[in-house]
Amino acid sequence: MNPDLDARTDPRERSGVPATGPAAGKADIATASSGSRPVPPRPSAVASGAATVAVGAAGLAAGVAALTGATRPIRLDALVPLLGIQLHLTPLGGLFAVLIGAVAIPVGIYTVGYARAERLPRGALGMLPVFVAAMLLVPAADSVGTFLVAWELMAISSLVLVLADHRRTAVRAAGAFYAVLTHLGFIAILLALVLLAAAAGTGDFGGIAAAGPGLPTGTRSAVFLLALAGFGSKAGLLPLHAWLPRAHPEAPSPVSALMSAAMVALGCYGLLRIGVQLLGPGPRWWGLTLLALGAVSALFGVLSASVATDLKRLLAYSTTENMGLVAVGLGVAMTLGSSGRHDVAAIATTAALLHLLAHAAFKALGFLSAGAVLAGTGLRDLDRLGGLARRMPATAVLFGVAALGASGLPLGAGFVSEWLLLQGLIHSPVPGDQVLALAVPLTVGAVALTTGLGVVTMVKAFGVAFLARPRSAAAADARPAPVSMLAGMALAAAGCLVLAVAPVAVGPALAGAAGELPLGVVRLEPVLLRLPGAAGTVAPAVLGAGMLLLVLLSVLIGRRGSRQRPAAVTVPLWACGADQLSPRMQYTATSFAEPLQRVFDGVLRPDTDVQIDRPAGSPYQIERAVYRTRQVDSVERQLYRPVLHWVRALAGWVRRAHTGSVHLYLAYGGLGLLVVLVLGLVVAR
Amino acid sequence: MGWLSRIRRAGRIAEPAPAVPDPVMPPPTGVRRSLQLRHVDAGSCNGCEIEIGAAFGPVYDAERYGARLVASPRHADALLVTGVVTRNMEQPLRNTLAAVPEPKMVIAVGDCARNCGVFAGGHGVVGSVRDVVGADVEVPGCPPRPEQIVEALRSVTGR
Repeated sequence: MNPDLDARTDPRERSGVPATGPAAGKADIATASSGSRPVPPRPSAVASGAATVAVGAAGLAAGVAALTGATRPIRLDALVPLLGIQLHLTPLGGLFAVLIGAVAIPVGIYTVGYARAERLPRGALGMLPVFVAAMLLVPAADSVGTFLVAWELMAISSLVLVLADHRRTAVRAAGAFYAVLTHLGFIAILLALVLLAAAAGTGDFGGIAAAGPGLPTGTRSAVFLLALAGFGSKAGLLPLHAWLPRAHPEAPSPVSALMSAAMVALGCYGLLRIGVQLLGPGPRWWGLTLLALGAVSALFGVLSASVATDLKRLLAYSTTENMGLVAVGLGVAMTLGSSGRHDVAAIATTAALLHLLAHAAFKALGFLSAGAVLAGTGLRDLDRLGGLARRMPATAVLFGVAALGASGLPLGAGFVSEWLLLQGLIHSPVPGDQVLALAVPLTVGAVALTTGLGVVTMVKAFGVAFLARPRSAAAADARPAPVSMLAGMALAAAGCLVLAVAPVAVGPALAGAAGELPLGVVRLEPVLLRLPGAAGTVAPAVLGAGMLLLVLLSVLIGRRGSRQRPAAVTVPLWACGADQLSPRMQYTATSFAEPLQRVFDGVLRPDTDVQIDRPAGSPYQIERAVYRTRQVDSVERQLYRPVLHWVRALAGWVRRAHTGSVHLYLAYGGLGLLVVLVLGLVVAR
Repeated sequence: MGWLSRIRRAGRIAEPAPAVPDPVMPPPTGVRRSLQLRHVDAGSCNGCEIEIGAAFGPVYDAERYGARLVASPRHADALLVTGVVTRNMEQPLRNTLAAVPEPKMVIAVGDCARNCGVFAGGHGVVGSVRDVVGADVEVPGCPPRPEQIVEALRSVTGR
């Protein structure tokens, strides 16, 4: 055996010894439980996983029922006094219920194994099904009050889950960031809905939808902008995206998957429900605003993802990118809808809805595989991973499926939707329309650049993490994921494959959901996808079959040729004359993205610092070189820091009134009471 | 179209091909008129590199006789070694030769590569190319003229 390998495996064996003793420390428990010996899963994890699967399956069933039109409204007036709870899963909500349920089922299965590997606390395990249930309530809500209650329940339960590992400072900071941003978004949504309900005179969604188009344009625009801000923050659109790259990496991986795949999609649901359905067709600038916001978000998201070195942070930024693409699709659809080009608007709507589903599939799988990497190595830093394909081959294949989907290449889940989006954009110019003539080419460029950079990002994520040689001992000793985790991931991968090869499977669901909106969708055909009113066809299944055939053919030809070739000889790897290659000679995530970082320096603004130590008296020799780079979100730096600064200054000013003197506080209370009484008297008059 | 007229004005500047030299040995792969070379500087003063550069330049144009410089020993039939073999380059030279697929050959260019030249006995010198990995063809000169290098290459390519 190679002595180098010996030395590497040795410490693991040593640390395994005290774990059997009674005084086993925390770290040793992890080592013992992760050994090759099968350990029974934790009962609490099994219960939590089963409950999550059950809730998810119920949501899926309810969603399918809603899409077939078999659901009825439910009223529970006694549950919340004065407000009442009104639930009605309509086809549009049903589509999102299907999405949430379909994400929750693999996540539930996955949690069983993940809870043991990563020692999830019991509180988080208990909260997981609650979170799924809260998410399912959002699309089912049928009144303003119910919607707000469900939305807040979802926000709070996800916050508890983000804080599962609250002993780490980074997690607490991420939790605080998430709490503040999600509640800023909530305030915007609250204002929007209250404004809408007050103007329409009813809190009932059905009543608002009937009254919505007749409201004054100023009110409707204000509601739209507030809804865009609030739901945009949940969907991770700029500039309120900053919670995503903080909360997603720090949350446990099943939670990241649920948040990124399902909860973020609910931001788009809110936009569709409030901004499109309840408000009805609006002025053109609504769609153009959404289009611009989406294009900027997509570009910024993918650029930040391409330079991210934390695997889960990369996936989180990719979420911003994909939601940006969905927003582009919706924006185009709304703009064209108000221009009367309903056939092309239908293409864009189909693209947006299909991309939501595709994103849910590949992003859930991506986060689950990233969680498998985290559980197997304890690392999220791509610069220290590498060579995992050898130690965890199944995870490598599954992450590959997710990466293929995220890069929008044929046979990936995101291909058909991104193709549809580009088709919709290319066919959207209306003759004589100067605004569209300017906006569309810019958007096509943004989407094309986003897709290209998305490929680079995913090649980096997969290549650096899974190929080449391990860059750290932890990566070299990676443990393969347990069966339950693999099963959950395989289920998500199956969803990816279906969306990649046969998007027709979700065609009826899309048509049902769009039936409720003033936007149409394209009918997805089984084999050849034709676009009405536009020249363009694609056949994903034929593409897949052709590719499979080519692979099989080349394997067969290669086998055949190998019989005639001389026997293979094993020679040392060519290392440019050096004795051997070391993992430090490989591309890292940082070095792979370095050219991009240079090109987009003005947008990304990285902090780089090169420090070279030279021995005394010898200016030509180098003793040590240190290269440090830190990627701070540039929007966060430019926009959030000044705001935070002003908030802090204001708080300092307000603090002067808080001296800590009980007498003063009593005086405040008394004064306040007096003011209220006087005001009451005045009003009563 | 400035560059086109410049090409036309320059015309053909390659030297006329001299008579084919006697073959010293057949090309290692058995394919005549083709020799893929990987150049290794084992400790040269760079004089030979300049002459090799000239030999493959437009005037002497060694490529018309089938010799080509390649980027990796994995693509090569032969090594073109210059300079004395220094202590630091001994193992890399052996590794490079090991990386050339069989059958292969070594061409030593310059006096240093033949017999250590003026560096013979230096403290960092291991020996000549012949001492370290063996040489099939040697080109004398300090540095050898491009014609000599081309002639040596032609004596292998047979063209």
